[in-house]
Amino acid sequence: MTRIFTSRIRIGIALISLSVFLVSCTTQATSKYWGQVEVPNDNKMRYITGSEPESLDPQFVTGQPEARILIGMFDRLVEYHPKTMQPIPSLATHWEVSDDLVNYTFHLRKGAKFSNGDPIKADDFLYSFRRALSPELASRYAFIGYEIKYAEDFNSAKSFVKKDGKFLLAKDFEEKKDDQKQPIAKDKPDVLKKETVKESAPGNDAKKPESADSSTKIDANEEKSVSEFTKYINSPARLTLSKPDPENKESMEAHEKLLEEKPGLKEALEGAEYVQIKPEDIGVEVLDDHTLRITLKQPAPYFVGMLTHQFFSALHKPTVEKEGWQEPENAPNMVVSGAYKVKEWKPYDELTVEKNPNYWDADRVSLDEIVFYPMDEQTTMMNIYKAGRVDALYNHTVPAAWNEYIRTFKDEYLLHPEVAIEYYTFSVKKKPVDDVKVRKAFGFAINREALEVYRKTVKKSVSFTPEGIFPEYEEARSRVWEKLRKEARIPDDEWEKRYYNPKKACELMKEAGYTVNMEGEKCKVTDFPADEIQLSYNTAESNKQVAVFVQQQWKQNLGIEVQLKNMEWKTYLKFRSAVEYKGMARAGWVGDYMDPYTFLSQFYSPKNDSSTGWWDQKYDDLLDEANNTRDPVKRYEKMAEAEFYMLQDQPVIPLSTNGTSWMKKPYVKGMYPNPGTMHPWKFIYFEEDKSKWDSNVDNILKEENPKTYAHINDLMKTQIEFEKSKNPEAEKDSDSNKAEEE
Amino acid sequence: MLKFILKRLIIIIPMALLVVTVTWGLIRIAPGNFYSTEKNLPPAIEANIKKKYGLDQPWYVQYGKMMWNILKLDFGDSLKYEGQSVNEIIARHFPYSATIGILAYILALILGLIAGIIAALKQNSFFDYFSMALAMLGLSVPNFVLGPILVLFFALGLYILPPARWGGPAYLIMPVITLAMVYAAYIARLTRAGMLEVLRSDYIRTARAKGLSEKTVLLKHALRGGIIPVVSFTGPALASLLAGTVVVEKIFAIPGLGNIFIQSVFNRDEPLILGIVAFLSILVMIFNLIVDISYGFLDPRIRYE
Repeated sequence: MTRIFTSRIRIGIALISLSVFLVSCTTQATSKYWGQVEVPNDNKMRYITGSEPESLDPQFVTGQPEARILIGMFDRLVEYHPKTMQPIPSLATHWEVSDDLVNYTFHLRKGAKFSNGDPIKADDFLYSFRRALSPELASRYAFIGYEIKYAEDFNSAKSFVKKDGKFLLAKDFEEKKDDQKQPIAKDKPDVLKKETVKESAPGNDAKKPESADSSTKIDANEEKSVSEFTKYINSPARLTLSKPDPENKESMEAHEKLLEEKPGLKEALEGAEYVQIKPEDIGVEVLDDHTLRITLKQPAPYFVGMLTHQFFSALHKPTVEKEGWQEPENAPNMVVSGAYKVKEWKPYDELTVEKNPNYWDADRVSLDEIVFYPMDEQTTMMNIYKAGRVDALYNHTVPAAWNEYIRTFKDEYLLHPEVAIEYYTFSVKKKPVDDVKVRKAFGFAINREALEVYRKTVKKSVSFTPEGIFPEYEEARSRVWEKLRKEARIPDDEWEKRYYNPKKACELMKEAGYTVNMEGEKCKVTDFPADEIQLSYNTAESNKQVAVFVQQQWKQNLGIEVQLKNMEWKTYLKFRSAVEYKGMARAGWVGDYMDPYTFLSQFYSPKNDSSTGWWDQKYDDLLDEANNTRDPVKRYEKMAEAEFYMLQDQPVIPLSTNGTSWMKKPYVKGMYPNPGTMHPWKFIYFEEDKSKWDSNVDNILKEENPKTYAHINDLMKTQIEFEKSKNPEAEKDSDSNKAEEE
Repeated sequence: MLKFILKRLIIIIPMALLVVTVTWGLIRIAPGNFYSTEKNLPPAIEANIKKKYGLDQPWYVQYGKMMWNILKLDFGDSLKYEGQSVNEIIARHFPYSATIGILAYILALILGLIAGIIAALKQNSFFDYFSMALAMLGLSVPNFVLGPILVLFFALGLYILPPARWGGPAYLIMPVITLAMVYAAYIARLTRAGMLEVLRSDYIRTARAKGLSEKTVLLKHALRGGIIPVVSFTGPALASLLAGTVVVEKIFAIPGLGNIFIQSVFNRDEPLILGIVAFLSILVMIFNLIVDISYGFLDPRIRYE
């Protein structure tokens, strides 16, 4: 028996060594591509999108993995441009913006249908937007719709206040500086201003006939008389309040506080009646089946860009109202508005979508099916990719340790800038970092170039907006910053060394009153209370690497040893947002829409999201001014000014702009490393012809693939032609508008 | 005997409730919640969420509601996966874990028992040393090393097996082997030790003296006593194998319960965590009971009072 076993073992060993040999052969044989490369013969794309989708309700989900799936299933007024993610026409063929930048009129595509054949009309958008913002849905992403007038108030279950048959107006209670800045409806026609008090929102009260037909600025359908709703929504903003609930202590306290803050409010509220804000009160109006108008609370030139988000999808009312429509087994019955509908959903395993034949652009949708694998284990994903069992991965999937090797596959590895930044925040109200000089010193003492080399997938940065994402903004910014830094008397050499300047860091420490022993360019700060600060970050290997790197930099350049502290993600979030940390904390920000404002707005308003405790009225004013500017270049200049102003006070240390870092097989065409890794699936196709495969994808954003571009250009035609027809003489103006879209 | 079983079954209920309560407390102590993200939520949205999920009520009301629902065996809806009930999720994903778990269990038993018995019978032979060395290796190589090595070899080198995911039988091979190896090694060592001890005992000598054939002595007498340590090991082992093993499910992207469980903790998905914890604790307790009962059949000297 022993003999049999030993001979088996011998055979086994022989087999093993043979296969080791085979393995080494196969890995050497395919040198150009990584692993198996074969075009799938069933025209079915296989994609890994990250963790398991929480739901297929586009208005409810928050994550990127879901968003990538849902933009294929639900169509919006505008679609992402596959390269830049700027809006291009989709269910809206063209749109126009009123002069005051608050009224957006969308002209819907005629003949567009849901997957069951029902037509998609303006009413469907009205329904969808109202549902999305309803407090009952409790969408975590509802804030993306807050630009719409009264949307925030509706979502917060607030009320209008009515007294003596008139609604109180917000502007009458704004003398004292309050926390939540209310927009000022300053440039409304006077006619409207006087008359609005008599009005009521439809659905709120019996409709009262309007006396005078006021000539508003709405230019959409001049032939029609202006509707009741139009007048209501364009009248000065009404006062909105949370109705105090006598049984709820918190609510009563908040109410008391509000009464103290707003002069005259207490008297005004006596005998007044609270009118709960209803879905019908938000600034969305159906003008006819194919015309939809959205009114914003304040100018927001980035608004059309926001509408690419899945939150603004067209939903099918009968489907959504069905009980249990979100359950995985019911998913195939879901009526959708997008290019793909669910074929099968096996949670944690796969989600297969198939082409929707009723989609308005179905003729140009190439892939028959797409299957999404939920997965978040980097090595497993890379294995599956190498084995040729998926065609593309999502962003940040290449493990850091593999980067050096993977990036040699020039035809597959995509590293391009992302609309995402990484930085360290300061707890600006706590000593010793309450001193701007100290904050700046810490910033100057980090060698960002070395960090870029070390991290491999990021780009160095000293700004709070990503580098290489908004070319027009960056152009305006470099111009404005050049001017501002001269005004601020920052010498040339210091400006050039803004990515790393240990000498300046030491000087700043000295100015801040610490004892500094210079050692060449570097120094030792002897009496800095290093034990009073920490560098906190959420537990992750890459965060740790950066933190250790930065810790070393501060030690070498300033002689200050900062302790590190790491925490589990959800614990950390609470810790950071409450500004409980002392010293610095790691942060990252991914843009919600394609405009620098998605970054800059983080410091806007006293209750801002920055987790630093920093706020400045001048900063808010600059941003307000920017958003009231129609000309994109001038707007960017104002924003750049705001960014410069904020960064001069250094509430954050910008470190880097993220990179995409993912892979796709060369035969997948029309798929680009765009700034948010959002792929409009309808542009993607498989290329059988090897000579047309993507090669050297570092340049992929510069190439104009004829098939995809014919498609995109055709879609963009409607809006471009519409703008030309609007003002044929102002060629220059339409050009700049076009630039904004591209 | 019946009394013993009933007593043990009844005790499972308060035990499970205790486990759930402790888990609930731990989740509540942990900072953060299921809806927190990188972006700070406006207070209004947070209020909407709290209202929707009843989080605006005092903790004792929430606790009471939860306990009452659990007594009705209803764990409610997942907080993360909108519109999916916890019971549904467990029912859907348990079979995946159970499939690889049972297969790995069978494989481990076959390999472990055969190797262990032969090693014991041929003590100090080449096979004994070789198989025990292999078992030592199996014990000391963790599955997160073995798994990737198998993948590297069969899926990425030879391209003969799928590297991960769920599908036909081919998809099962590597996860099952990865999962089984540690258990097989353990079983082999336990079997060998158990058999060696039994083979030297008086009743085996008696059996041999009575002139029974070697086969009968081994299979009817020695084996029953020899595998008692194996049984007490494999009972709980089977429970944990069935419950899903996080590492293997992660490496091979298997939609099993272990994978879901870990994810639910990161998501702070309270109902799902509680549901899985309750389910697993009941599973473990039942398997322990089965193990205790089976002792009586294997060794006539063990009695239940």
